[in-house]
Order: sequence, then C-alpha cells, then structure tokens
Amino acid sequence: MLHGELETLLDISITLGSQPLRDQDSMTDHKASVPAQTEGMEQGPPQVLGVSDSAPPQVLGVSDSAPPQVLGVSDSAPPQVLGVSDSAPPQVLGVSDSAPPQVLGVSDSAPPHVVGVSRCDSAPLLWRDQDLRAVRGRGLVGALLGALPRTPRQNGRLGRPLLLLPEEERLLTELHATANANQSGGGVQLSLQVKQHLEEQERSLEEQRVLALQDRKSALLHAMTSSHTGSLGPSEALRGHLEALHHSFTFPRGAMAVQLSTARAGLHHCHEDRAFLRAQQPITAQHDSKAAARYQVFRDLRGRGFYLTSAGKFGGDFLVYPDDPLRFHAHFIAVVLSLDSSLSPLDVLAIARLGSNVKKTVLLCSPGGVQYPGGAEGVQYTSLQWSGMV
Amino acid sequence: MSEASHRAEEAPNWILVHPAYQQMKSLEVEDSAQVHAAFLVYMDLSEVRQWKEVSCVKSPELQVVLLEGREKEGAPIQTVFPLPTHRPVSHQSIRHVLDRGFPMLLCAVASDSTLVYQRMTDGLVTPDPPTGPFQDLGRRQHRKRRKQQ
Repeated sequence: MLHGELETLLDISITLGSQPLRDQDSMTDHKASVPAQTEGMEQGPPQVLGVSDSAPPQVLGVSDSAPPQVLGVSDSAPPQVLGVSDSAPPQVLGVSDSAPPQVLGVSDSAPPHVVGVSRCDSAPLLWRDQDLRAVRGRGLVGALLGALPRTPRQNGRLGRPLLLLPEEERLLTELHATANANQSGGGVQLSLQVKQHLEEQERSLEEQRVLALQDRKSALLHAMTSSHTGSLGPSEALRGHLEALHHSFTFPRGAMAVQLSTARAGLHHCHEDRAFLRAQQPITAQHDSKAAARYQVFRDLRGRGFYLTSAGKFGGDFLVYPDDPLRFHAHFIAVVLSLDSSLSPLDVLAIARLGSNVKKTVLLCSPGGVQYPGGAEGVQYTSLQWSGMV
Repeated sequence: MSEASHRAEEAPNWILVHPAYQQMKSLEVEDSAQVHAAFLVYMDLSEVRQWKEVSCVKSPELQVVLLEGREKEGAPIQTVFPLPTHRPVSHQSIRHVLDRGFPMLLCAVASDSTLVYQRMTDGLVTPDPPTGPFQDLGRRQHRKRRKQQ
C-alpha cells in the first residue's frame, strides 16, 4: 500500500515535467537508488501519502467554545461536517449561492484546482486526497502530521492531514487557490445538525434495543427447548423466563453499534462551484517584519522552481531542493535576514560550518537592494562555501 | 634580566613599525581593532600562505581595511575582508565587498588571533556532489541497516 502511494507521487512529479535544475543528473539521481525508508533523513516527516482505503477520519479541529462533536455518522444522513474553527466568527464566503461562479486563474486548460483549507487553531490543514495532490502539483510540499490508520504507533511514515507552512498558505491565497473548508452557515446550522444527529442516535438505540431483546429471547428459547426435551412443563417455565427477561432486559448505551461513514469525505460543503469563489481568510495576526521577509524569499525561490520545506533541523529558515524532495537531497539551507540586521562573525562561521558538514550550501537571503525587470523588488543571495583554507 | 625587559619593551613595537602596518594606518580607518586584524591577516596571507601581491585598500562605504591578493602567480585577485569577532557584520556590508567584483573571503579574527576564512559568493552556488563510488545496497545490507535503526 505504501509503495503504491510512493509510486503515485513519483508519477505526479515526473509527469508534471519538472526538470531538475542541475545539469549533472548522475550524482543527484543516486538518491533514487537509496531505499525509500532512509530518504527522509533531513526533511521532517517524509512526504509519502500513506492513505488508507477509506477517507480521512472525521476528526477536525475541535474548538474550546463548541461542545465536543460526536463523530459517528450514519450513511443516510448528509455527512456531518464538524470542523469548527475556534472563537473566530463563522467564515462566510462573500458570495451567495445564486451568484455565478467566477473562474479565476484564466487559462485554456481546466481552471486550477482550489483546495479546501481547514483550520485547527489557526494551523492550516489539508485533508482531502485531491487537495494534497493539487498542492504538490504546484510545488508546495508541506508536512504530513497524521497517523496512518494501519500503522499508528510509529513516526517514520505519517499520513493526512497536511500542514502547510504559513508561506505556502499565503502563496495559495494569492493565487486564489484556497477556499475555506469550514463553511457551515454559522452556529445555528451546526447545532441543528448536532440535534438531528443525536435524535438519530436515540432512534438507532431503540431499534437496536428491540432487536437485541428479540435475539436474547430466541436464544433463551433455543436453549430451553434443546435442553428440556421431554420434560413435563417446559412451556410454563419457559414463559416465566421469557417474562423475566422481558422485564429485566437492559440495553446499555455502550453496547450500541455506531456506524461510521468513511466512504464519503464528509466535506460535502466544498462544492466545486464554491471552489471558484474567492476565500476570505480569517485575519491571522501579522507576526512581524520577519514573516514578510520570509514570504518574499519563499515566493522568489518558488518562482525559480525550487521546492521548499522548513529547515528547523539545520538552524535555517528553509531547505531548498532543486526538485521534488522525494527525488533529490536539498542543495541549500536558506537563512532569511534583512540587509541591515547585524550578525556576529561567529554565527556566520557556525552556520557555514554546519552547512558544509551536511553537504549543503548556506544561502543568506535578503529581500531588497535589487530590482527585477518589471519593477518587482528582488532578493539578494549570498552563498557560503567551504573555503578549504585550513 | 635587563635584556629580557629590554626585549619586552621592544617586542610590542614591531607591529607598529612594520611597513605594511604603517601603510594600513595611513588609510585612516578609525576602527583600530579592525586595522590590527587586517594586519594579522596580511601576515598570514603573505608569510604563511605565501600569497602574491598582497595589498591593502580602504572601503569607503564600510570604513574598513580590505586586503587584495593572489593565491598564486597568475591566479585571479581575491578580496579578503578581515573582521574581529566582536564586531558585527551585516549582509549589506558583505554585499558591498562582493560588489567590488572579486571572489571574496571573510576572515574572522579571534581574540587569540586565530584566523578562520569563509568563502562568500553571490548567487546560488550548488554544493559539490557527494563523491565516491555509489553502490546500490543489496537487500541484505538494507535489511541490516533497518535492523540497526
């Protein structure tokens, strides 16, 4: 199952026609010979979509304010979407259903896929399989967070949801490629859904109780008649037992069988027509100017065709891959700093030394100071390399 | 004993009277620690590493002494930026030195006069690929490694 997913991912990256940016392929392709299990040494959780055959579980971010949402959903009712953002006001898309869908991203081919972003305490998550593929197709890697249903107690291979970097989410927003997945017309509709669900549970409980009682009676009948063959008054004793059973039978709630509908993803509100509408993102606080600088560097490098993941393991801001991380090792550790922020020379030496120890070039990235044709503000890059002077 | 003390008085002066140091002094850079660092780097380059045509020049934007030299006869000129470790450096100053157009080395001078050189280049320089013969690990090796993990 995992190998199949890995192959699928490789297919995606190959068919997207991504060319490795280095001319010499021989040394970078050697990675393909390394078995997949040892690949993910440097980059957080390896990017394998370990997907079970069923759809993602129904757990979405549970807020503090709303009561905990029950997860068992039967097939007959419309799937209950329970992802609730926390105390932020309900995410209303600015357009009603009657408005004509606006096609964004004008092109001859099919309009770009719009992904539904769920939020868990302001962390942007992607749950749907097609969303993950679409995002990967745009060259954004993210980080898998979830446990795999069949191999839960390990951290080597993780599954959905996919956590996006803040820069990745911002890039998608600017490309109008996200829609908020937690669209539920407000708290009223949600509480109605919850009420409906609880009522169904009660109904189901009653039915099951009746059926269970019938089962027990027939079992008792079978037992009594088979053992008392030829006795004098089996029917009387039998009737007495049945009466007693009928009165004393209890069907505890814990014994109730609950059907979890995993066939459908439970994100029915992400209709394709809504996908064309512009998403109004909740206003996340702008952390500081560093976030703006990081985003500018992210966008610039992404625009040059590099794949970027977070580089916490190497003391930098981003790891820069020439192509899909599944196929190549990172070439650069990008450190974002503003042009006038001052460093101690010892820090420069430390990060450069780290970089040469792991065979990566450290890239000092600073937005500003250079202009691209077209007037956009560019980013200046300085590579730190091993000097070889001992 | 008087000789030793006499020598002790003499010893600190040798830097001050050195012609190269005096040349750097004449560039009128205020940061004397940086000038001292520049002199140490000069001595290292010219005497220890035997670089050719080592000279000093002042950078007007940064107000520091830079060194230029060739590693060997006929090699391209490189710029060396000597910097005491307690002085901060900004990306902007690095860009200023890079803008001179020569390959650049930053040299960090510690308080015990240890020198560490760091190559800096403009743009994105892909790292050297891993060397050595590459071998596909057989299944056995792979299983062994898995076990060790």
